[in-house]
Amino acid sequence: MSGAFRAGLVAAALVLCGGAASAADDPSGRAPTPQDWAALAALPDWSGVWTPDIEDQFVQARTNVPPWTPKVAGEMKAMAADEKAGRPHGIFQNCLPEGMPAWMLVSHNALEFLFTPGRVTLLGESDGGRLRRIYTDGRAHAADPDPSFHGESIGHWDGEVLVVDTIGVLPETYIATGEALGVPNDGDLHVVERIHLVGPDTLHDDLEITDPHVLAAPWRTTRIYYRHRGRKNEIVEGACLQGSFNEAHDAQGHAVFAPVAQDQGNVVPTPK
Amino acid sequence: MSRKTLALAGCLMMAVGLAAPTAFAHHSFAMFDQSQTTVFRGTIKDFQWTNPHAVIWVINDAKPLATPDVWTIELTSPGNLTRMGWTRHALAIGDKVNVEINPLRDGQHGGSLKKITVLATGAVLTSSLIIPGKP
Repeated sequence: MSGAFRAGLVAAALVLCGGAASAADDPSGRAPTPQDWAALAALPDWSGVWTPDIEDQFVQARTNVPPWTPKVAGEMKAMAADEKAGRPHGIFQNCLPEGMPAWMLVSHNALEFLFTPGRVTLLGESDGGRLRRIYTDGRAHAADPDPSFHGESIGHWDGEVLVVDTIGVLPETYIATGEALGVPNDGDLHVVERIHLVGPDTLHDDLEITDPHVLAAPWRTTRIYYRHRGRKNEIVEGACLQGSFNEAHDAQGHAVFAPVAQDQGNVVPTPK
Repeated sequence: MSRKTLALAGCLMMAVGLAAPTAFAHHSFAMFDQSQTTVFRGTIKDFQWTNPHAVIWVINDAKPLATPDVWTIELTSPGNLTRMGWTRHALAIGDKVNVEINPLRDGQHGGSLKKITVLATGAVLTSSLIIPGKP
């Protein structure tokens, strides 16, 4: 074997092995093994349906105010005054997904966790747009993820704590402390969560939210969820926009959804 | 616009006109005065079991008027209501009821439901923004 031919073989082998090593390093391309499925049994039991502690959300809104920038603090003061006066700003009125971090902070609706190899999935009630995919397969963040409502979430287990790092969130999603109190994150949002059981049926989501556009410093806050089991507690399908339609019939007698005019977040009752 | 399309549009408009006058998108409940309670007896005009908020329209029977005095009453989501014991058949059009609400702050005839009693059966259903928390 000539030296040149041997060198060529070595180079080819390096390329091939390098390519193989690269594929093996990409956990997203690997099929789960029986061991991967079995390993799920070692994770903490987060089954059931979890409802947020809404009273505590209100307490947090009063006692753990985000360190807003001075400009945003002024905006929040005006929004709070409007809400107190019965003129709430309908920041989720458009029925787009609340997204991150608003969903975790202010939702009044239940959620559930699904564990599969390499991933934890959060599914929320009341709107099908409440869905988070948290990848726990060892991948790193993409260099430049496409912005989305829930962002790109990479997680890992620190003992029985799921640590989630989220970037790539659309700038229009809100950092909110109420359904009528919040501000768009304006981009460059970074959320780190530590989600863990604190009791048999109590779960905490400890969030650290960093946003150079609207927060003067990282904001740390906790949201509490309680577990329920049984059929009546199971998540029911919901589409937020369904409330924007009336059930009607078309000219052929088919059942159809007919759009109706939206209000501005306040009820417009039938005239007296 | 074709005749068929016009017919569809007209039919939809008629259906919509006969049904609820407004939409109930996802919003805060701050427009309701949580410190006030209004109670009245009425008749169910309609019951909409949809996200994000279920809605009941109740005709106030205390003041029979040429134009019925219809109150628009909001509830939480169907999922939360199910956990409180509701079903989509909990109320029927024509049911005589007693309602207890937090009224709209602006005095218009609407509110968020606290409690409703179906007079024929005595069934009592409650609704709350604060859903049951601790199991």
